[in-house]
Amino acid sequence: MTTLTRQDLNFGQFPVDSLTASPATAVTLLFIPSELEPSGAFLQPSLHLVNVKMSCHPELNQYIQDTLHCVKPLLEKNDVEKVVVVILDKEHRPVEKFVFEITQPPLLSISSDSLLSHVEQLLRAFILKISVCDAVLDHNPPGCTFTVLVHTREAATRNMEKIQVIKDFPWILADEQDVHMHDPRLIPLKTMTSDILKMQLYVEERAHKSS
Amino acid sequence: MRRGGWRKRAENDGWEKWGGYMAAKVQKLEEQFRSDATLQKDGTSSTIFSGVAIYVNGYTDPSAEELRKLMMLHGGQYHVYYSRSKTTHIIATNLPNAKIKELKGEKVIRPEWIVESIKAGRLLSCIPYQLYSKQSNMQKGLNFTPACKAEEPGPGPSSVVKQLNNRVNHIIKKIETENEVKVNGMNSWNEEDANNDFNFMELEQIFPGRKQNGIPHHRDNAAIFNGHTPSSNGALKTQDCLVPMGHSFASRLSPDFAQGEEQAEKSSTDFRDCVVHLSQQSTRNTDAVRNPHRTNSFSLSSLHSNTKVNGAHHSAVQGPSSTKSTSSIPTLSKAAPSVPSKPSDCGFISDFYSRSRLHHISMWKCELTEFVSALQRQSSGVFPGREKLKKMKTGRSALVVTDTGKPVAVTSNRGTGRAPLRPGANPQLEWQYYQNKILKGKAAEIPDSSLWENQDSAQANGIDSVLSKAEIASCSYEARQVGIRNGMFFGQAKQLCPSLQAVPYDFHAYKEVARTMYETLASYTHNIEAVSCDEALVDITEILAETRLTPDEFANAVRMEIKDQTKCAASVGIGSNILLARMATRKAKPDGQYHLKPEEVDDFIRGQLVSNLPGVGRSMESKLTSLGIKTCGDLQYMTMAKLQKEFGPKTGQMLYRFCRGLDDRPVRTEKERKSISAEINYGIRFTQPKEAEAFLLNLSEEIQRRLEAAGMKGKRLTLKVMVRKPGAPVETAKFGGHGICDNITRTVTLDQATDSAKIIGKATLNMFHTMKLNISDMRGVGIQVNQLVPTNPNPSACPTRPSVQSSHFPGGSHSVLDLFQVQKAKKSTEEEHKEVFVAAMDLEISSASRNCTFMPSFSTHLTSSVNPVTSKAESSGKWNGLHSPISLKSRLNLSIEVPSPSQLDQSVLEALPPDLREQIEQACAGQQGEQHGDKRKEPVNGCNTGILPQPVGTVLLQIPEPQESNSDAGINVIALPAFSQVDPEVFAALPAELQKELKAAYDQRQRQGENAAHQQLATASVPKNLLRQLKPAAVKEKKRNKKKNPISSPKKIQSPLKNKLLTSPVKTLPGACGSPQKLIDGFLKHEGPASEKPLGELSASTSGVPGLSSSQPEPAGCRRPPAPNLAGAVEFSDVKTLLKEWITTISDPMEEDILQVVKYCTDLIEEKDLEKLDLVIKYMKRLMQQSVESVWNMAFDFILDNVQVVLQQTYGSTLKVT
Repeated sequence: MTTLTRQDLNFGQFPVDSLTASPATAVTLLFIPSELEPSGAFLQPSLHLVNVKMSCHPELNQYIQDTLHCVKPLLEKNDVEKVVVVILDKEHRPVEKFVFEITQPPLLSISSDSLLSHVEQLLRAFILKISVCDAVLDHNPPGCTFTVLVHTREAATRNMEKIQVIKDFPWILADEQDVHMHDPRLIPLKTMTSDILKMQLYVEERAHKSS
Repeated sequence: MRRGGWRKRAENDGWEKWGGYMAAKVQKLEEQFRSDATLQKDGTSSTIFSGVAIYVNGYTDPSAEELRKLMMLHGGQYHVYYSRSKTTHIIATNLPNAKIKELKGEKVIRPEWIVESIKAGRLLSCIPYQLYSKQSNMQKGLNFTPACKAEEPGPGPSSVVKQLNNRVNHIIKKIETENEVKVNGMNSWNEEDANNDFNFMELEQIFPGRKQNGIPHHRDNAAIFNGHTPSSNGALKTQDCLVPMGHSFASRLSPDFAQGEEQAEKSSTDFRDCVVHLSQQSTRNTDAVRNPHRTNSFSLSSLHSNTKVNGAHHSAVQGPSSTKSTSSIPTLSKAAPSVPSKPSDCGFISDFYSRSRLHHISMWKCELTEFVSALQRQSSGVFPGREKLKKMKTGRSALVVTDTGKPVAVTSNRGTGRAPLRPGANPQLEWQYYQNKILKGKAAEIPDSSLWENQDSAQANGIDSVLSKAEIASCSYEARQVGIRNGMFFGQAKQLCPSLQAVPYDFHAYKEVARTMYETLASYTHNIEAVSCDEALVDITEILAETRLTPDEFANAVRMEIKDQTKCAASVGIGSNILLARMATRKAKPDGQYHLKPEEVDDFIRGQLVSNLPGVGRSMESKLTSLGIKTCGDLQYMTMAKLQKEFGPKTGQMLYRFCRGLDDRPVRTEKERKSISAEINYGIRFTQPKEAEAFLLNLSEEIQRRLEAAGMKGKRLTLKVMVRKPGAPVETAKFGGHGICDNITRTVTLDQATDSAKIIGKATLNMFHTMKLNISDMRGVGIQVNQLVPTNPNPSACPTRPSVQSSHFPGGSHSVLDLFQVQKAKKSTEEEHKEVFVAAMDLEISSASRNCTFMPSFSTHLTSSVNPVTSKAESSGKWNGLHSPISLKSRLNLSIEVPSPSQLDQSVLEALPPDLREQIEQACAGQQGEQHGDKRKEPVNGCNTGILPQPVGTVLLQIPEPQESNSDAGINVIALPAFSQVDPEVFAALPAELQKELKAAYDQRQRQGENAAHQQLATASVPKNLLRQLKPAAVKEKKRNKKKNPISSPKKIQSPLKNKLLTSPVKTLPGACGSPQKLIDGFLKHEGPASEKPLGELSASTSGVPGLSSSQPEPAGCRRPPAPNLAGAVEFSDVKTLLKEWITTISDPMEEDILQVVKYCTDLIEEKDLEKLDLVIKYMKRLMQQSVESVWNMAFDFILDNVQVVLQQTYGSTLKVT
């Protein structure tokens, strides 16, 4: 029987994978404008037919993969509110926050696009947009690091603690310091709306980065 | 043949009554018949047919007259007119389609039945001679237990067996050919039995489909042969038939008939041998047997081939004991006790699940998974098994699949993984293991029925429909060599391997074995993934490192231990990932182990058939084959892109990786349950909606049980229904199966997670009703619960905003309606008011219970009451709250709220999709009386229907179109009653509390109202031609405002402004003019925000316009196109056009317009469409700052400020505007 529940959509397969693949790409992409990694550290695989630069640092990749792997079950349950990649400066104060805000569309269905090709297009647009976001952002101060925050809905965190998807990859409550940004400026990057997911990406940038 | 009824009545009465003449005639005919019969009687007479009353329909051979004579002679009745109550059999050789359709339960029998019964000297079972039958009733039910019915006459099972055996011997000597025929019969035997039972019960069998399909082939011949043999040498035939019976008996009831079984088996084997020659022999037979009768029957039989084949056997079997009831085969009937318990029976569900192998298997898997995770939790870190092994050596990291060899187990072990297969081996089964026996899952066989069901799976497998459709759940390796596979139908398998033995399920034993296996594994490690009851994946990396064993040594140890404990052979495959381990297991079977070393992987995988890959099923295999791909090696030549194109991105990638032996899935020891469902698509046949509903409720209870067992609650409910595909046969090939179906699903999200059968049942019924199905076409029903939440965590977490919002929203919509009404009312007399109110009340009641409650009492005061409502709605955060998708959703579930017809904006209505419009129009139809009054008002107000959408300041209907929210198809009405529209008298009449609320709301609203008025005026005025029409409206508005002013001071202030605006020939946006809807919407929005601000209640997110509020009389205000949420411009390009026209054509923007823009922006924020917001802001910035007028600059600042405030509230940061 075909159903249109999130599970039966096989969210664990294409969409979520694509979703997580997108942020994975997104996250690594972010490092390019953020100048977090030496430029030699990126490969160019293609995702959604877009050539993207990907980090080829194995441990970084592992970290990103693990992160997203943990987010995946939450995504499937629509427990994720936001996934935030925070760029911190030397003092561990956030400089930029790349916020992937994820919501579920009012009516979940794949009836209109069973191949999800439309979704792919949207994700593609997303990634393209990310790759050019440095144009609208100020330069980061040198020596930045990054961290990934997940804003969950309701009691999702608790469940997450119960079920560690990946061993030895626990989630911890974020420090207020990591979350709060002084005098943020919001820069919307991209919004996508499809039958199965609504996602928007915006950047919160500290007004005065160098200070 | 269908004049029922009258005869009964007629019996007592004379001719005068209706039908009296016929009754009398019939009676007379009967008397004649009786008297004739006495005359006719001579030496040849008998009473074979006593109790039988036939009615001959159409041409028969022997003719009707002859049949009549025969009936006279042999004690039967012959009816010239069909009587449903008295006639027991209809005799026909052929019936026109129309008559066939009319058949309900009647037995339609071929005339040979009579002839042959006479020849045989006893009443043969009529079943084999049936012309047609409706099968639904005849097929077997769920109760597979072979309990005998007490009332059934005839020899008990054991005696039957004996007889059979004796006869078998005879038969073998006598006629080989017949035996062969029987072979066929054997397979169908059980099915026939089932049929018999039903026949007895229902007295009718019609095989509609058979006839058509009965193209003669060798089997038909055989059948014919059988059919005739009885006449020539009935004894032989009986015997022959009995043999197969005995056999089938034996195999089925093995415990009781152990002896019989063996013998039967022998004989059956013999028969099998003959099968090959069947076709030849059968022809021979036919020749030999031929005589006039036979020829007749021959033609007939060829028509009904299958039926006949079966029938022949039956008749023989039944012959001995059969008279009326013809149930010589009581045992059989027991085996297939009566009609499948109906789904409507309350026990059906539990019965179904207790017998469903798939259910057991899946439940075990869950249990075992839990078992493993429980083990992990309790883990002390000590693994006894491991300790033992430590004495040994080194190893490499590997995944192991343990796979217990398949015993003759009932369950099918499908996956070859690194999981140990647990055969459901028990001692009894063990010995069978070494013989060629197939374990047959179900003890009962299903009668096959119809060739015409060809499209079904039967056809796919090329199975003759006569064969049993019971699936083989698992079979031994010996059986597999012959070509028997799991999932094959038993009948077919039996053909392949005559000596195949069926073994009934023994769920208990399997469970034990599974448990033991897992315990064994758990003694080594807890890193186990339960794949199924007989298969597990184990990550042995750690073990090997610790024990220093080689993988092979370890595998050996595990296998030995499992074999020791369970007596089941286990196979183990070892590979570096799950995929490889599984493939290796395949190679290891049976009872072996295989270690796929990394260096061998490439060669190994290349040689594997693609069909061996997990996830490659029949359809994908055929697709791959069509691409010329058979092995993984072939597959490796395909590029990822090509694969993804063919199979979709995910599957393509999977194939790409799998064919290279890549697999990165971890061994998951714990899996969260994502959904809980109960689904039954076997035996679902409803006749009454009530049955279906009751069944759904039962199923809900089952769900409740499962949810409780899992300790979960679920929020999202899905109802799946399988419905017979139009054109598919009504009856399925597999009895009780679902056949060819369309799947229909409905999903609903509950406010709260629940595990209550009541709630679930109710929601399910709702969904079910919306499907509007033909009950009799339902073939399967399933309920699934998703979004599971553990029961223990405080339930409060679950219910959250959605519910709150939804509750508010209805209120919002009400308010809109009210507004409309209010305005109109003002214009018109009080009476008119009342009318309007009434309409409004109805609407409200239907939509929102809360508001409704107080509405009725205040009907006259609706205006005032409306306001509180609106204010509430606003407070919830949105102007009207309609924008949020959630609200829409909730609305959808409710009946559509339709404003009274008068309030409908025609242009808006026209813009709706046809279906929506129809709905609305229909809804309005009921209110038409009121409409008239309203209409009068409308023109006055603002030409609602006119080209210019003049929002005469108040009412706006939002009918969402292109926007997402709109797609929901609900009608959103957004409107806040303008201050001016409030009738002071009404207000005064309100309770104090309400008045308070209203006042607060009004304070805010006044501003808005003014703004709105401005806008309207502006818009109206711009298009000069159009404006003319608008002006009157504007004037009216003013008046209204004035009226209202007394009530609320703030409004007064605004109203002047409005007036100014109205009078001033300010241009409205050209775009706005073009699309009336937009303007209206915009207007509404303005009102909404304004009113909201003053209210402290406003949630931050809702009206970002706090700063804006009307109190800030910004001269520079620009007016923007309606928000995306509004019916107006949605696409960015439209918005841009609108903005551009506005900014470039107007030198002095109006506050209303500006507010409209702000509203739009805040709506965008709500919608989380920051990207568009950004673009809009930037675009405005460009345009406005370029503008010569400083007013525009100020307008932009104003808009930006407001947007920033909302953003700050929503996101905690402000937009970066460069």
